[in-house]
Amino acid sequence: MPVWLREHSWRQTLTAVYLSLPLRGARATPANIFCGEQYLKVSIPPFLFEAVLYAPIDDTNSTAKIGNENIFFTLYKKEPSMWDSLTLANADKEKLQCLRENAVLKAQEKAKEETEAKKITKQEHKKYALEATMKLEEAERKRIEDLKEKERQKVTEELELWKNQQKDGDKYKSIQKKGELHQEIEPLKERKNEKSNKTQIPNEGTSKTRLKSTKGCSCSIFSQNLKEEQLPAPRAAATIKVNFTPRVFPTALRESRVAEEEEWLHKQAEARRIINSDLSELEDLKEEEKNPDWLKDKGNKMFAMGDYLGAVNAYNLAVRLNNALPLLYLNRAACHLKLRNLHKAIEDSSKALELLTPPVPDNEKARVKALVRRGTAFCQLELYTEGLQDYEAALKIDPRNKNIEKDAEKIRHLIQGTMQSS
Amino acid sequence: MSAALGGPERPQVVSHVQQALSYTVFDCKWVPRSARLLCLGSVARGTGLVQLYELHGARLELLREIEKPKPIKCGTFGATSLQQRYLATGDFDGNLNIWNLEAPEIPVYSVKGHKEIINSIDGVGGLGIGEGAPEIVTGSRDGTVKVWDPRQKDIPVANMEPVQGESKRDCWTVAFGNAYNQEERVVCAGYDNGDIKLFDLKTMSLRWETNIKNGVCSVEFDRKDINMNKLVATSLEGKFHVFDMRTQHPTKGFASVSEKAQKSTIWQVRHLPQNRDIFMTSGGSGSLHLWKYEYPAQRSKKDSEGSEMGVAGSLSLLQNVTLSTQPISSLDWSPDKKGLCVCGAFDQTVRVLIVTKLNKV
Repeated sequence: MPVWLREHSWRQTLTAVYLSLPLRGARATPANIFCGEQYLKVSIPPFLFEAVLYAPIDDTNSTAKIGNENIFFTLYKKEPSMWDSLTLANADKEKLQCLRENAVLKAQEKAKEETEAKKITKQEHKKYALEATMKLEEAERKRIEDLKEKERQKVTEELELWKNQQKDGDKYKSIQKKGELHQEIEPLKERKNEKSNKTQIPNEGTSKTRLKSTKGCSCSIFSQNLKEEQLPAPRAAATIKVNFTPRVFPTALRESRVAEEEEWLHKQAEARRIINSDLSELEDLKEEEKNPDWLKDKGNKMFAMGDYLGAVNAYNLAVRLNNALPLLYLNRAACHLKLRNLHKAIEDSSKALELLTPPVPDNEKARVKALVRRGTAFCQLELYTEGLQDYEAALKIDPRNKNIEKDAEKIRHLIQGTMQSS
Repeated sequence: MSAALGGPERPQVVSHVQQALSYTVFDCKWVPRSARLLCLGSVARGTGLVQLYELHGARLELLREIEKPKPIKCGTFGATSLQQRYLATGDFDGNLNIWNLEAPEIPVYSVKGHKEIINSIDGVGGLGIGEGAPEIVTGSRDGTVKVWDPRQKDIPVANMEPVQGESKRDCWTVAFGNAYNQEERVVCAGYDNGDIKLFDLKTMSLRWETNIKNGVCSVEFDRKDINMNKLVATSLEGKFHVFDMRTQHPTKGFASVSEKAQKSTIWQVRHLPQNRDIFMTSGGSGSLHLWKYEYPAQRSKKDSEGSEMGVAGSLSLLQNVTLSTQPISSLDWSPDKKGLCVCGAFDQTVRVLIVTKLNKV
């Protein structure tokens, strides 16, 4: 239950009402005061003061002064008249309530309008500021443009001047040429024409010297011509052979697939460094027999001579020393093929292919070989479909190899033959 | 690189005239001793075109148009005399032709020099610059660089070709240099794998080679007719190198300084004829950069074994400007008016530019 504040005192003039409201010890802030067109409320819980005014007031201009223990209202009347009393007497509850609600609504609307108005003014200010800066910048730009224009015009004038000078200069020179030396020039011209149509040389040298001796004048035109004729003979033709910078990969920086190629190089380098040492057995081997490359060469030689078992031994030892060199497996696969150890051949080719990733142009040849060998092994085991797969893969890498193509064709026929018969 | 490039004392690049063309222009050159310029290129129907323009105030007036059966890639006036002013061109078919522009129906000299397109051409010994016989060098996609003398038909006077069995690399650019007396001459060639090779024509041998990793788009000596001083080589991916050519170390070659100017390919470098320390590079993003080279306090020093080696100087960017969205593929300074230059871009326009305040640099 609110405590009503009723000890207010008021006086009025024609245009204003002065209301003084003592607060019994309560402290007031602007938020506690609510003023509508015809309704005034001060609510400081638990105190409450409410007045439905006799006539509407101008609530925007009215003021409330919060002083010591007192609120002093200055309310400006909308219509100047003397009020009989501060509040509307005989107001029934409903009317009061209506008025109250209207007042609240109106207050809200007003608040809204105010915020809108504020927003609009803010925007206008912003726009103004923006325009001002734009104008400043425009002015600056224009200044620079003007400077540039001036430069341009100056330069254009200079250019015209220079051009005219050139033209005059040329004209003068040409007149001079024509006037004085017309006849002398003729034979020179003829000789020049001949020269440019023939494969010439030292002859002119002599003819010119003759001319020179007869004339004996040192006009500028002449000396220029003479200088021409004193040119050295064309060089003796020669060829210089050039080599282009070798690169690991024969493509320029912009073309190479550097990442993959780097990976491949790295792998190769790593592989070469692996030493799967098994010291006890290897102690009695000679120094060179511990080198996988040397063993690989030995194996190759034995393969070439037909000693396939020996080659296999060499490769085996090499693999024991370094199991990451794809070429070892590749060559061993070839030996197994010759020895008809087909399963072993397939195993070795597969291992080689595994080690030959990532696929780069550098290991193309090796990959083709591995695929072909595996394909052959499959076919000899009568697993023609797998064999054909390998051959086609090989063909994809190297489409121009006729042998692979022929073999692939043969396999296809075989497959079709077996399918038909089965 | 300083950022304050708008100040009043910096050289400004002013675009004087812009001319839209109806064909792709590959090369543009000033006609020496005149206000005329040539545009060489390829028309859509697959023929070559040479157009001669004259600069009239603020516009270019077309004086002459010559059509040739094959598209033309490059041209030079370097090997003709000032009176004749014959144009030497290389075309897409590997033919080297020298034309008299007054009578262009029949070439003055013609040879099928290469099996593939001639990418670059340079001439020396003409125009009153330098000494010695006039010669033309052409570099082609077939990997060879050939030097021709217009007085000798059919056979080049020097041929730099790959060793038998070696896979060839395209030669993208060639330049003459060191032609300070009648015998001395060098040819510098840049290839698409980043090789730069310097051939000495007096001894007919390879004098120096190096590799700058990215394809070399353009090489130029700062002057053709003096003892080799500086060589600028530009490449893909926005890098270019300036080599100091006065001191050759037996193993390390020439000292160099390199600069990465832009993200895109640097198509051309051209030195200002009136000041050999200023040059302009043109880029694939349609921009032009004007550079100045400053020499070091000492141009050579002794290394640990006592042999001389060169010291590279430093570069400063004087100005840069973006004119187009397409690469500017050709650039030429006028030898007669300081600061006047023409550039041709792949957006089918040719622009005449004036660079101001070069005297104060």
